[in-house]
Amino acid sequence: MSLKFGILGLLAEQPLHAYAVKTRFQDLLGGSWEVNIGQVYTTLQRLERDGLVEPAEPRGDRGRIPYRLTQVGHKALETWLAEPESGPQQLREEIYLKLLLAARVANGDLPALLSRQRRVYLQRLKDLAVLEEEARSIGRNDLVLLYQGALLHTEADLKWVDACAEATKTGKDKER
Amino acid sequence: MTTLVELTEVSKTYNGAGARAVLDQVSLDIDGGEFTAIMGPSGSGKSTLLNLIAGIDRPSGGRVTVGGEDLGRLNEGRLARFRRARLGFVFQFFNLLGNLTVLENVLIPAQLHGTRPALARARAMQLLTDLDIADLANRYPAHLAGGQQQRVAIARALINEPALLLADEPTGALDTRSGEQVLELISGLGREGRTVIMVTHDVKLATRHAGRVVTLIDGRIHDDTRLDGASPLPETMVKVRIDQEQK
Repeated sequence: MSLKFGILGLLAEQPLHAYAVKTRFQDLLGGSWEVNIGQVYTTLQRLERDGLVEPAEPRGDRGRIPYRLTQVGHKALETWLAEPESGPQQLREEIYLKLLLAARVANGDLPALLSRQRRVYLQRLKDLAVLEEEARSIGRNDLVLLYQGALLHTEADLKWVDACAEATKTGKDKER
Repeated sequence: MTTLVELTEVSKTYNGAGARAVLDQVSLDIDGGEFTAIMGPSGSGKSTLLNLIAGIDRPSGGRVTVGGEDLGRLNEGRLARFRRARLGFVFQFFNLLGNLTVLENVLIPAQLHGTRPALARARAMQLLTDLDIADLANRYPAHLAGGQQQRVAIARALINEPALLLADEPTGALDTRSGEQVLELISGLGREGRTVIMVTHDVKLATRHAGRVVTLIDGRIHDDTRLDGASPLPETMVKVRIDQEQK
């Protein structure tokens, strides 16, 4: 996810200084993000350099500058929002690598690994359902959608693990 | 918690061409007050397992005990009484009698059980109220939506106040929203301390509502997972990764 466009999106609503950008971001993503204030400062400076944002007020002594979007910044945000996500799918979870290697390493106990992974996914589905319910109870329908997306991904992960188990079993049946 | 349902090396084989064990030496204990989901692909034996616990079917081998009662030792008459008194069963396609009203459908198990008519009626009306369908008491099933029919079936399953509720794909014939509502009702029963065993193929529904998920594959228990229902920290579940542009 792009911090650059996240910041542009927040500044499109109203001018904000760096710390306010950080807290708004945290609230927007329901506490599920990973970025520090230093990154926000650096990104704001780059955006200013490229003419996408500008100080909304003259720089004060304390260095808290509220930034706002420029016309160019608005245009860039609109273009980004209109584009579908088309980058390569990221299979970053370690389980993929583990499964690929477990199948190659002689003592890799694939069925046991699959079983353990299955339990993790089942618990994850439960946890996400709890979070979705909590988000719903406080009226955060945008976060409900975030958790629903995670639920669907996890359901797919579980199906994949089951397909791996089935394929492993079929392989063993053939060996008999 | 005490064990309410105990299956010991239970097998079931149907006779016929190429007889294959639908259930193969399944052992499973379920405690009173547990909400257990039974999952598995088609033909994995989940409905058969439920029917054996319900005493609708008898095992080819092994023992099924419910509430300390060894079902294999009961003759058909006693088994029928046991089912009426101790079990409620909810089916995928509701199985309501079309020529009886909602209230009459709900009353059938109580009448068979010999409950006093006034008491049975009061209990039925209370259940219909709890399930938010009291205004449908005098309607016929054909005039009800699927979700409403399933509520009637749940009321019927609960009229004799059974310790154990069995549900076979209770949302299978319902749209998503009605299914969620029906599942909310069933998990509410679980929270009240009733024991629920539900067969479903929907893993999201199973994990959301049940505290335990048993997965069957080819008539055997493939996995048995107990789930922790405590609220997790959001960042441990969904991590939105923010990349910084390197320019």
